[in-house]
Amino acid sequence: MTERLIAAKNRAERSAAFNGSRVIPLKFGDDPQVWACWLYYEDRLTQGEIAEAMGISRATVNAYLADARERGIVNITLDPQRLASLTIAQELKRHFGLHDCLVVPSSEPAASLIGRLGAAGSLVLRQFVRSGDTIAVGWGRTILSVAAATSLTGLQDVRVVQATGSVTTGQPDSPEICAARLAAAIHAECVPITAPSIVSSSVMRDMLMAEPLIQSQFEALSQASRALFGVSSLRPNSTIHSSGFFDHAPLQTYLALNAVGVIAGRFIDVQGRAVRGPLDDRTLGISLDDLRGIERRIAVAGGIDKVPAILGTLRGGFADILVTDAATGKALLEADGAKELNRPTQRAQADPGRPAEVQRRHVKKFLNNPDDIVDEMLDGASRAHSGHLEPVPGTRRAFMALEAPHEGKVGLVVGGGSGHEPCFLGYVGQGMVDAVAVGNVFSSPPPDPIAKAAQAVSGGEGVLFIYGNYAGDTMNFEMAAELVQAKGIPVRTVVTTDDIASSRAEDRDGRRGVAGNVLIFKVAGAACDKGWLLDACERVARKANQHTYTMGVALEPCSMPQTRRYNFTIGPQDMEVGVGIHGEPGVAREAIQSADAVVDMVMNRIFTEMPSQSGDRVAVLVNSFGSTPLMELYVLYRRVEQRLKTKGLTVEARWVGHYCTSLDMVGASISVMHLDDELAELLAHPCDTPFFRVG
Amino acid sequence: MQDLGSKRLIRMFSQAAMAIDAQRDHLSDLDGAIADADHGMTMSLGFRAVTSALAKLGAEASPSDVFRTAAGAFLDAVGASTGPLYASGFLNAAKHLDGLDAVDPAAMLEGIASGIAARGKGSRGEKTMLDVWLPAAEAAQQATRENPAELWTYVRQAASDGAESTRTMIAVRGRAARVGERSIGHIDPGAVSALLIVGAMADTFGDADLAI
Repeated sequence: MTERLIAAKNRAERSAAFNGSRVIPLKFGDDPQVWACWLYYEDRLTQGEIAEAMGISRATVNAYLADARERGIVNITLDPQRLASLTIAQELKRHFGLHDCLVVPSSEPAASLIGRLGAAGSLVLRQFVRSGDTIAVGWGRTILSVAAATSLTGLQDVRVVQATGSVTTGQPDSPEICAARLAAAIHAECVPITAPSIVSSSVMRDMLMAEPLIQSQFEALSQASRALFGVSSLRPNSTIHSSGFFDHAPLQTYLALNAVGVIAGRFIDVQGRAVRGPLDDRTLGISLDDLRGIERRIAVAGGIDKVPAILGTLRGGFADILVTDAATGKALLEADGAKELNRPTQRAQADPGRPAEVQRRHVKKFLNNPDDIVDEMLDGASRAHSGHLEPVPGTRRAFMALEAPHEGKVGLVVGGGSGHEPCFLGYVGQGMVDAVAVGNVFSSPPPDPIAKAAQAVSGGEGVLFIYGNYAGDTMNFEMAAELVQAKGIPVRTVVTTDDIASSRAEDRDGRRGVAGNVLIFKVAGAACDKGWLLDACERVARKANQHTYTMGVALEPCSMPQTRRYNFTIGPQDMEVGVGIHGEPGVAREAIQSADAVVDMVMNRIFTEMPSQSGDRVAVLVNSFGSTPLMELYVLYRRVEQRLKTKGLTVEARWVGHYCTSLDMVGASISVMHLDDELAELLAHPCDTPFFRVG
Repeated sequence: MQDLGSKRLIRMFSQAAMAIDAQRDHLSDLDGAIADADHGMTMSLGFRAVTSALAKLGAEASPSDVFRTAAGAFLDAVGASTGPLYASGFLNAAKHLDGLDAVDPAAMLEGIASGIAARGKGSRGEKTMLDVWLPAAEAAQQATRENPAELWTYVRQAASDGAESTRTMIAVRGRAARVGERSIGHIDPGAVSALLIVGAMADTFGDADLAI
């Protein structure tokens, strides 16, 4: 008997000493499973030792331990990120019948995804490339990243062959460079394909294919036992567009044929079928059938824009080993209808003792007829703020400042859906917004009220439109601009894109406009008020937008007046990071954290994007989404200012409160405007509106 | 003969309005999964405005008058993104039907689809209403060539396949684009409402007993 067993046994026996049998020590209650677990997990006895100590059979110990897991007495946790990746990899392998699958955890920023996929791809190569293999290699950023991450020695007689002909000279991730880099990394012979990937005619292709040199290169390709390739989507942001590939191909033709992606220079649809098109007879490279015939086919690809293309790749059997990231993997499974993955961090705790909370179907609201809510709100607001604004003649959905139009000044017109009060109506008045057009809840106003508002506040120097970057607003404001310009009034437009969580930094123009709007309106309104020309007003509004960074976090969703129901759900322990001001789900859902941790997360993102230096000045807006009280906003602001101070940044101006809400959403956003002299001066310019006053 | 095409068209709009009203909450729920849950409301408002505007239309109105009226009413009622899109679609359909007394289904569908595509600068595969309208328009043209008697069967099938295909797509347009991969697996609400309209068209125009 080992010492620790003796000790355990002694403990057990001591506690049972009075009745002379091995009864359960008092501290375990009357639960032998808890006792067994204690001995196993805390005292680290073996199952045999436990059987001895408890006076039961080993089989019973084993059953106790298993039951304890079932009952949740014992919870075993793995690092959730790793576990999620592992679970997704297993599920992908099973669902798509893959030979193997490796999933890297998803994380921001997206730029490093390529690097992590490359590292994972090199692991797969290490495992699956043997001496004597011929590897057909594709091209693209991801494949180049695999090559860069790979260093293999000790392999003999390995050849790396280009899977396709070559592309535009100067392309850093071209087929020829990818093949050469990979060959060097594994000390293999490199076989290039010394012909273009796409040629001008089928005749030219046939001639080239008849050349002995090229024939020998294709001969090597036909012997491939391994394939390594990336998957290209046809989405506008895909690098394939800058590769010179579509210099030859009518992209629209392929889209109309339902192509979703390109692998090894060949188009496929989402079902994994080859898409026949005008390039087929002009392409030099491996055919899809030959690709499918290769023994091991490794696809390395990640990014949600590639999901349809990767689906096609897997469904068509073009890859049997997949390297991807967790978000993409999860999306692949969801798109293919695989059953939803269990969230490992949230084990359902059955608790039959307590009746489930009755789910309330409707949120309480002050309502008459819900269909009338916007008109009734506008009626009330225009009465409440009659000292600042009045209806625009001829429409019930536009309001203008009492002072407008200002002769000889640019008119500032903003607008958007309702539900964001005090946006946008609350900023109409002297020195800020001249007129607003208001739409239905979370819906852009139609062109008519926008155009009427613009005409009403035109002071002869043109009109500036500023609105958030949303599909609906853009179309309606564009149509309104056409109407107004047709009447001889010049119109300029600045679309706000301050929400840094809504899209990657390279895609600034694709971001949505959120609470930072208010600061941008203020700057533009001051420029108009100072009598600047339309050009200058537009320029400074654009600059204000570029200098403004916002990110929001929601704790609870918002409910629509018409349905009185929440328009999305957030789990009891979760928060939605990067939420939009229409309650659009954010970009990530995470476990809720302390106020300071949330601020730190947001500020870290802002600091990553904002090119500031110690000594610079900023303006800050801490905004409630509707139901978060000022008390909590101040807690957030406190930390925001601490973080700015430690960066050496001066808070020149700050606003804390309800500025751009999302009905009754619980949550807040933080906006930082990076100031220069001009922006600082315009922000400080006096204004007087119902919800924004300076001076 | 002249008023029969317009009457049918007006009846089609009223059927579509009813179908959309009946599915209003469902459409909003679908929208809530990936965007801001207002689609049912928006479509219902728009089609109600269309039917009440069409009710005021004189008996001599041509099919293209009907579409023009619908476009104006829809646009003034809703704004949002659906407003300009359907308004442009209906307006373009009106252009395609100019001078016609009867409704040419292929011209009507082609007009709607290309009008929406031009306004939204969209194409298929982007998880939008175009994934219904474009295939529906193509099916109508194919049927006109191959099997005119079965035109609405072709169109219905293409529209329904198109709506279903949005499940595997990633939204790249509108608010749904912001949720990225989380849009996958969800059918697009705009495609579903488009399918309801196509269904109303097929019901109204595909009924052989009422053939002109």
